[in-house]
Amino acid sequence: MPLEFSKFLKKVSVEVVVGRWSFQVEAVDKGKFSEEFVERSAVIYLTDDFGKANGFREGDVVRVSSGGKSVNLKVMFSDVAPENGAFMPNSIYVSYLVDFSNFKRFRATIEPADGSVTEIDEIMQEVLSSN
Amino acid sequence: MHVCTGCSCLCDDVEVELEDGVISRVYNACRRGAGIFLNLNSSRASPSIDGEQVELERALEKAQELIQGSENLVIYGLDTTTLEAQKLAIELAEKKEAFIDDNSTFCLGDFVEMILKKEVPSTTLEEVKDNAYVIFYWGTDPYHSLSRHLSKYTYYPRGANRQRGYEEDRFLVVVDVRKTHTAKLAKKNARFLKAGNDEEIIRGFIDALEGRSPKIFQKDIPRILKEMEKGKFNVIFGGLGLKYGLNGNYDLFKEMIERMNEKSEVYFLPAGCHPNMRGFNELLFEKTGHVNRYSFREKRSSDDFAFHRLLESDSVDTALIVGSDPLNSLPLEYAKKLAETNTIVVDPRETFTGRIAKVVLPSAISGVESGGTMVGADGTRIELKQVFEKEINDEYILKKLLEVV
Repeated sequence: MPLEFSKFLKKVSVEVVVGRWSFQVEAVDKGKFSEEFVERSAVIYLTDDFGKANGFREGDVVRVSSGGKSVNLKVMFSDVAPENGAFMPNSIYVSYLVDFSNFKRFRATIEPADGSVTEIDEIMQEVLSSN
Repeated sequence: MHVCTGCSCLCDDVEVELEDGVISRVYNACRRGAGIFLNLNSSRASPSIDGEQVELERALEKAQELIQGSENLVIYGLDTTTLEAQKLAIELAEKKEAFIDDNSTFCLGDFVEMILKKEVPSTTLEEVKDNAYVIFYWGTDPYHSLSRHLSKYTYYPRGANRQRGYEEDRFLVVVDVRKTHTAKLAKKNARFLKAGNDEEIIRGFIDALEGRSPKIFQKDIPRILKEMEKGKFNVIFGGLGLKYGLNGNYDLFKEMIERMNEKSEVYFLPAGCHPNMRGFNELLFEKTGHVNRYSFREKRSSDDFAFHRLLESDSVDTALIVGSDPLNSLPLEYAKKLAETNTIVVDPRETFTGRIAKVVLPSAISGVESGGTMVGADGTRIELKQVFEKEINDEYILKKLLEVV
């Protein structure tokens, strides 16, 4: 039986597709500073197969990095995520990672992280940091 | 009946029940739509200056002062407000020789422009419901972005000339980079084309129309074209996936639609989310011949006048943001630039942009607290009927800002 090295290879490079997610959009009206908005926005969706093959479990907190910037997000499994990639709902977390050349699809790495997901205030601080 | 302003469908059959003056139940709306009504009092914006809560009058005066003193103003957003408010914003931009732009610049403005310039044939959702056989969703997942699109307007309803239901009287085609919830519906009488490269798929259709074998989807593309000939009335809904997939090369797409129309009627409609984006595009087009990215000083439209480009090039000193939250939707580098600009936010709810704004002016939620008119993605004008009346709405605020210009 071949060894499944991929199980132990935890930093993976993926293409992230960005789109609408009605459950997340619903949280917008409850408040962009609400816990519910963070819960539904600070999320990266993987397929069950792809997640497990790369050693990620649902609920894991991962560091998602792109273009020299990183955010901590929660892994969720979904059968509508790209087969060998990831899906993220439109939100300030995506905006933080992308630039205009890769607005709706971008390359990112995913690796395990300690702690909790990135808070909105941390991103806001970053926005204001150069002022 | 009320109109939901959650997306560009502008569903006009929403019913609400009140209990002690509070909306307690919402009927017919989707998840997003119901949320707008039920969360009416959540996360409401307060008037503020530099993050400090103040009386509305003070905030308005400060906003007037900033507008008056601005030499290079940009007005941005506007897609969630009414035509009446959009007209005032355009008037303000004209009087101030300002820039004006909306979300359509990086959303589906190009598609609306193609329709307004009659470069592609278009239709209405009512016509689609009554007549459409082959229905494409290309680069869009209406299950999440326009949740009642399929059930109220396109795939599921029985139309005047489509009485036999979706199992027999509709043929669904979904083109997407991933198997979305909409794509999962593509089973019987349907095809899912997984898009690696949109141009290749378009070339595949053109090849098949010219009698050559397509290089990809060799079986699916000829079958779809055969169904389109059978159907006589067909429609392509294009979303952001298509826009970004085409990367500005719209000629090939327009050629495909033209060729398809030699065999059967094929219409094109944008599948965008903002409730009154098309309204803004139409108003600006009527006035200037352009749908967005316009400078009233230079009397022309240019990529350089896109909101994010103006921020990038430090071309504006003041930004008036109406009903939009660019911090949520624009990349970080532009958010940083906006934080350095005198920003006035007009919005009914708390936004990220509001947190970095010089002035926040709380407004009314269109369709819930204020009436007016909006234009759906198909160009249909819809009158809004508010549930409650809030005096301070976008129109009121924009009129106040116009007073000092």
